[in-house]
Amino acid sequence: MTDRTKKIVKMFASRDTQQLQTALDEIAGLSDLLSTEKMELASGLAALFYREHTDRKDPMNGIMENAEKAMASLGMDVVDIILGHIVEADLEAVEHFARVIGNIESSIDAVLAKLDEHKDGQYAVTNLLLAIESFKDKDAIKAIDKILLFTKSDNPQVKAAAISCIGKTCRAVDTNDISQDLKNKMFDHCFAALSDPKALVRLRVVKALGEMVRYSYLDPDQVNKAHKAFRAILGMDDYEWDVAYIVRNEAEHYLHLCRSGGNNGYKSAANVDGFKQDFRVISKRELCPNTYHFRINAPLIARKIQAGQFIIVRPHPHSERIPLSICGWDRKQGYIEIIIMSAGRTSTESTNKEVGDCFQDIVGPLGQRSHVTKYDGTCVVIGGGYGTGAIIPTARDLKKLGNRVIGIVGARSKNLLIMVDELRDACDEVYTTTNDGSDGIEGFVTHALEKIIEKEKVSTTLSVGPVPMMIAVSKMTQEKGIECWVSLNAIMVDGTGMCGACRVSVDGKTRFACFHGPDFDGHKVDFDQLVKRQRMFVDKEKIALEALKD
Amino acid sequence: MSDNKPLTAKERMSKPRNEMPLFDAKERILNFNEVPVGFSMEQAQNEASRCIQCKKPECIQGCPVGINIPAFLKLVESGDVAGAAQKIRETNFLPAACGRVCPQDKQCEAVCIVGKKYDPVGIGNLERFVADYEREHNLPRQPKISPSTGKKVAIIGSGPAGLTCAYELRIRGHDVTVFEAFHRGGGVMVYGIPRFRLPLQIIDEDLKFLEEMGVKFVYNMIIGNILTLDELMEDEGFDAVFIGTGAGLPKMLGIPGENLNGVYSANEYLTRIYLMHANEFPDYTTPLFQGKKMGVIGAGNTAMDVMRTGIRLGADVTCYYRRSRDEAPARTEELEHAEQEFINFKWLSSPLEFIGNENNFVTGIKCAVMELSEPDDSGRRRPVPTGEEFIDEVDTVVFSLGCDVNPVIPNATNDLRVNKWGVIMVDETTCHTSKAGVFAGGDAVTGGSTVILAMGQAKNAAKHIHEYLAGRFDYKLDVPTDPEAPGIQWSFAKRKG
Repeated sequence: MTDRTKKIVKMFASRDTQQLQTALDEIAGLSDLLSTEKMELASGLAALFYREHTDRKDPMNGIMENAEKAMASLGMDVVDIILGHIVEADLEAVEHFARVIGNIESSIDAVLAKLDEHKDGQYAVTNLLLAIESFKDKDAIKAIDKILLFTKSDNPQVKAAAISCIGKTCRAVDTNDISQDLKNKMFDHCFAALSDPKALVRLRVVKALGEMVRYSYLDPDQVNKAHKAFRAILGMDDYEWDVAYIVRNEAEHYLHLCRSGGNNGYKSAANVDGFKQDFRVISKRELCPNTYHFRINAPLIARKIQAGQFIIVRPHPHSERIPLSICGWDRKQGYIEIIIMSAGRTSTESTNKEVGDCFQDIVGPLGQRSHVTKYDGTCVVIGGGYGTGAIIPTARDLKKLGNRVIGIVGARSKNLLIMVDELRDACDEVYTTTNDGSDGIEGFVTHALEKIIEKEKVSTTLSVGPVPMMIAVSKMTQEKGIECWVSLNAIMVDGTGMCGACRVSVDGKTRFACFHGPDFDGHKVDFDQLVKRQRMFVDKEKIALEALKD
Repeated sequence: MSDNKPLTAKERMSKPRNEMPLFDAKERILNFNEVPVGFSMEQAQNEASRCIQCKKPECIQGCPVGINIPAFLKLVESGDVAGAAQKIRETNFLPAACGRVCPQDKQCEAVCIVGKKYDPVGIGNLERFVADYEREHNLPRQPKISPSTGKKVAIIGSGPAGLTCAYELRIRGHDVTVFEAFHRGGGVMVYGIPRFRLPLQIIDEDLKFLEEMGVKFVYNMIIGNILTLDELMEDEGFDAVFIGTGAGLPKMLGIPGENLNGVYSANEYLTRIYLMHANEFPDYTTPLFQGKKMGVIGAGNTAMDVMRTGIRLGADVTCYYRRSRDEAPARTEELEHAEQEFINFKWLSSPLEFIGNENNFVTGIKCAVMELSEPDDSGRRRPVPTGEEFIDEVDTVVFSLGCDVNPVIPNATNDLRVNKWGVIMVDETTCHTSKAGVFAGGDAVTGGSTVILAMGQAKNAAKHIHEYLAGRFDYKLDVPTDPEAPGIQWSFAKRKG
């Protein structure tokens, strides 16, 4: 031992962080180190990594990090020493050594040679795999073939370590630097291990697959496969889920990645089963007789829909296309919420759907979003019957802009009032009105509106519901000079402006409710024509409904 | 053939044209089956033998997709229908549809040399014969698909333009995804062309064929709303986009009473019946209000389709058109078929107003009687009112005045330039729009045309998309900036020049 190394190694024995740091700094200051000197220093540093330091008051984290760097700076000469430690070291120490070796350039070959040497030693192999994980450059590609062998190991620890190693490789190596063939192998090996009986292995597989998605290692088909697998683990496609919480937890985390694509914020809709949505009913609840609230899986629509927009639904392959407004959505979980009142054939067929059933087709989002801005005075949103749900998203948007928002819900009787609690969450205040006085104000929504206008300055109203209600609100607001938006539910076929079935007269001009609307200035709408056009197919609708009963 | 002495050109030409046999008008108006019977093998060979195999065939120039017509006719004549099918498929992958719905009398057959002295060769009927033979005998259609290029292309719309572009790009090895707003593919071929002109089975087989080639189809996708063009290219990794959304926004009459009940746009009327199967109500639950006395405004191909559909649904149908029969834009054959099918034509009648009852249902149509004066910009003689008027009783009216371009995508895409009529502006040579990597074709850029012209454009667009994807796209683009600029007019005369 030379004097200078002797001095430094001695300093490593100190329990004082200050002194340790000084020693590390001294290493950095040395030049022309002989090979033997480097080895001496490495042995000294290695001892440091075995130190028990969890009980210390002043954390050694910074020191340990610097020590790792110092050891790595010693280069190839000390690789053998490090590997010697890796195959035997205890779990905590091995992490330090792994990080060191990962930072020494061109040391991967030595690691792989050691892996061959110890290939039957479970402990050595898992530790060496851990070391491979820490390589941050293209060198890691060299190791993949060997790692893949170990993914077939009978030993669950080795298998799990190998799969974990694959996942980490995705982080280290850019997807463009690695051959498609190798990527496919990585995917196939991992995917095959998904049926392993050990939860530990499955956990690592989910993680590795997720990392492959995140770093764009997979083609769309493979992402799809992963997506499906994750859904199955979570019990989303079936009633059986993975029994291990750790696996489900991990799958939940990565499912989101599959949905929204990999590569940090790269959001791909293609990963939703290749753009295909199943329109499955997630939940269904009765709000009042014949009126149901549905939650439907439609991730692509949920990503985009805005307050005021609508969808077109076909429950069955033989069904007509009917427009429905939206009362809510969850962009992350990928569902939309609608309220359907069974009245005609198609709405009845829709309300007959149960949880787990799928709608044939849902198209959307359609139409323009509601007009939302910051007003001086209060905004009043008015819902009647099944239209009550549709005002909630707009109310929420108005509130977000800092408006004072009051909701009014009207119905014939108390048991027909729906969505009141949900509306309360979105508004500052909610009034209810019933024709028979069984709840809230007796009378119509206009009675409540009148009360509000007496009390405070109202700037705008939005009404969604039966036409007579919208006419009454339009009249009252026109007299008082208040803005009045109405959402029109005209008869539609395609919903994109192609057919013109939904023509309405607004201010004397022909407008398409599907494309220019559905919200229009209530003071300018020809309601009389709207009502009559809505009755165009009344006779046919009766026949269709009768046919359903037969 | 080998035993006989080859026919001389004169012998060939002077043979009478084989007319397509039709089912009897009285019977065919009772159902939605196809009207033409189709050629027999013998008729087909005989008709094909009328082709004189010109040295400079003008028919190829006359075909928007450039089918090698003399070559396929020669193969038909020799009895090698499979060979003929392959020959057609080199340039046109929808021969069954084109043989049925192309206006051959304004294209290939219009320039046929034989037609200068005699009747032109029945190219359309023969194309149809070959395609039907291929389908009925399950002949393998083997497109050569180039190795994968790793490039992804999004096609918006699954009509003639979209499908052609998808096909052309797929065989060049690209990864193609077609996005359709409706719940099924085919576009105007399904919702706008009646079943008695183009059976559903033909469209479905072409769609299946594309799927087998590896083209992906996604339905219920309103591009612009559910995904923007930018999202397609930036987030979904599409390297290029082709817009083939067609002309889906009916032109309104702008006369009193156009919003009466029982007044439909041709799009709505045909969509209810052919896409939604309203004629099979209540097995299919889409309703249709179909009256007994039906008036149809317009005399284009779509108007003919509407009228012939109306008569099959039991209505007494009258056509109102402000010019005369000679100016009617419909294909001659369609007009003749309509006349055979007992449709009344009131030429030189321009609707002034629809009259309705207290329930908002239409009860009458008021027309001005017109006469023709000097030719206008379109070269057709301009109709002017005589001052005379008349009122007819009707309970259903369908107006077929053409379409404007559907505004959904242009509205959702700031940097996609359109003219004041909403037509998407493209560079005439390449079909490239004002937005990098986005091409367009079909009615979306012409403002309304035929299946085959849409296909021709899509083919041209596909060629340039391929160059674009290969990094060989080196053109000085000229996308019109004038909001008054018309849509691209793709007459074959322009292609020649």
